Amino acid sequence: MYIYKIIASFILTLFVFTKFVVADELEDRVKELEEKIAKMESSDGNNSLSTSTKTKIYGNEFNPSIGIILNGKYNNFSMKSAEPAVKGFVIGHEGERGREGLQLGESELNFSSNIDDKFYGSMTAAIVKEDGEDKVELEEAYLMTTPNFNFPDGMSLKAGKAFWTLGYMNEHHVHADDFANRPLPYRVYLNKSWNDEGAEITYTLPTDYYAEIGAGMFRGDDYPIKGGDGESVGAMSAFARIGGDIDQDQNWRMGLYYVDGDNSGGRAGNDGDNTFKGDSSLYVTDFRYSYAPTGNVREQELTLQGEFFARNEDGTYDDIVFNGTSYGWYAQSVYKFNSRWRGGLRYSQMETAGVPTGLIGTNMDGEGFDPTSIAIMTDWTNSEFSRVRWQINQDKLASGSTDNQFTVQYIISIGAHGAHKF
Amino acid sequence: MLKKIITLIIIQFSFPSTLIAKELNVFACEPEWKSLVEEIGGEKVKAISATHAKQDPHYIRARPSLISKIRRADLIFCSGAGLEVGWMPILIQKAKAEVQPGSIGYLMASKYTPIIDIPKSIDRGHGDIHPEGNPHVHLDPNNIPIIAKELYRRLVIIDPINKSYYNSRYNNFISRWDKSLLEWEKEIQDIKGKNIVIHHKSFDYMFYWMGLNEVAALEIKPGIPPTAAHLNDILQTVNKDTVDLIVVSPYDPPKGATWLSNKTKIPFVILPYTIGGNEESNNLFALFDSSIKILQDALYYK
Repeated sequence: MYIYKIIASFILTLFVFTKFVVADELEDRVKELEEKIAKMESSDGNNSLSTSTKTKIYGNEFNPSIGIILNGKYNNFSMKSAEPAVKGFVIGHEGERGREGLQLGESELNFSSNIDDKFYGSMTAAIVKEDGEDKVELEEAYLMTTPNFNFPDGMSLKAGKAFWTLGYMNEHHVHADDFANRPLPYRVYLNKSWNDEGAEITYTLPTDYYAEIGAGMFRGDDYPIKGGDGESVGAMSAFARIGGDIDQDQNWRMGLYYVDGDNSGGRAGNDGDNTFKGDSSLYVTDFRYSYAPTGNVREQELTLQGEFFARNEDGTYDDIVFNGTSYGWYAQSVYKFNSRWRGGLRYSQMETAGVPTGLIGTNMDGEGFDPTSIAIMTDWTNSEFSRVRWQINQDKLASGSTDNQFTVQYIISIGAHGAHKF
Repeated sequence: MLKKIITLIIIQFSFPSTLIAKELNVFACEPEWKSLVEEIGGEKVKAISATHAKQDPHYIRARPSLISKIRRADLIFCSGAGLEVGWMPILIQKAKAEVQPGSIGYLMASKYTPIIDIPKSIDRGHGDIHPEGNPHVHLDPNNIPIIAKELYRRLVIIDPINKSYYNSRYNNFISRWDKSLLEWEKEIQDIKGKNIVIHHKSFDYMFYWMGLNEVAALEIKPGIPPTAAHLNDILQTVNKDTVDLIVVSPYDPPKGATWLSNKTKIPFVILPYTIGGNEESNNLFALFDSSIKILQDALYYK
């Protein structure tokens, strides 16, 4: 303890002799120091008061934050034969119902860190089992400018591969979802999620309410475009969204999003049928409302959320000229009963586009049937880092086919305490 | 709508933000810091609090309105020490360069005060613990002048034109605080050494200052809500003779505390915890006045 006093008096002597520092300030500092010493002395023994927090062990300081997400599930499907294709659509592998039985889901590994004062970087890789083999899928690998970058206030650029701004759910990792699977429009149009390679610039307006706009350009090598020629910009996007509080316990957000791209390379479904070449435009609008009855979202919360998709395709399916617009939407509500239990209900539906004569009888022919999916879930959250979920789905993806599905799922998070997006 | 957005963009680029801003925008994470900044900044600051007394500051959402508020902030004023780690990192990406971590406009109160409850070992098996120690530093009234001084220093650097204004309000606040502190020190003599059951380690600074002992917590581990089994365990270990009071904050669910209180006849109180935590606590002085009075009523006159 006396070492502090010795140091303090040494500093004092030094400053007095050099007559450099204003006496007032010095006195304050010595006083502060003495107060601290007094406090430390008086607190010896029966408590853990300490001022030693500022000393850190260096060496690992510059390692990035590391987070691991593990999830596993058990699936049981009433329809034992292969899942019927979503009638009227050609979809990718990730949009299908998945495997039956006990299985590991995506195991995610995330590294993130500030690169320097002007850039932030993040990488997320998922290890998944596909066709009997463990594969590494790069979900995200991007850099983002920090506010210290010399952009106007509120502007930011993100480049690389990322879950780009589109609707509510796309920006979120699957492990943060409220349900064990994604709603139909995400499965059909985005092959679960849109994480093309590219760059996006966003600008948050200096307004009283929340308002953000943004635009991006992409390779065009992922759903909803896929099959860009890779030579020029394959896809462009734009969005605008607003939000605010109704009162201190209720808030809302809504947005409009647009992605457009040309794929001369062709987009085939997972089964290789009906290849589309041409221009695809996807329009999305989303809405989310949340309400905390007691003010504390930790205890009780109600959320209402919906998204509406419209896709126009202008090109050819298997060399047959096609110009049509299809629609998809979902609406969901999740209620948190207490700090551990939540329950939720979701309905999603697709509406097919009419097909030209050449495509009648193919997968693209919806025959006037609208595929639907209903999901009911309940989950149990022990801490911020562990959750177990039970879910029942009823998928009616083709005329006369009903698939009742049951899922038990666990999701755990290890390591860095990631902040949660709204 | 589009016209409005375009107009706003034009306005933003035409005038540097300092010319439009009449008063300093302060983004306080918790109501106690909003109150402190208003004590010293007076009418020269416009402060908002991201959370209110009914919200657990560990767990709020980075909701849209907070993005728009932090976007315009000239000063971010929070507890730090991991209290806001679940939502601040997302928000801070939308704030100005002048309020980023390490700059004058980024003030974390816990950096300037002594910290208690620093865990000896860090393992999530022990619950959602803060490696940095207990972040609820505003509940030791000795910490308030230390933080007020740092806040004053920052305000003067950010807004030097109003230096004398801040100076007189700062001196006025400190002298009033010192006076109150002397009174409080006298008042808490009567309740020293009593045994308390808490919900979460929210009141450690206050209890440490008051000389109260925490004997059990209703949460199984920090951040892990109580279960019936855990409450039964507590019921086995506490009784009316060994425990004097059960204390919860306005944002803790009162169910467990009510149950234990009914079973054991140990009285249970809700301490305000922060500004707005009860009707009386409308500023920092009243927060301590009210907290002490509630404890005195429950403990001394028991």
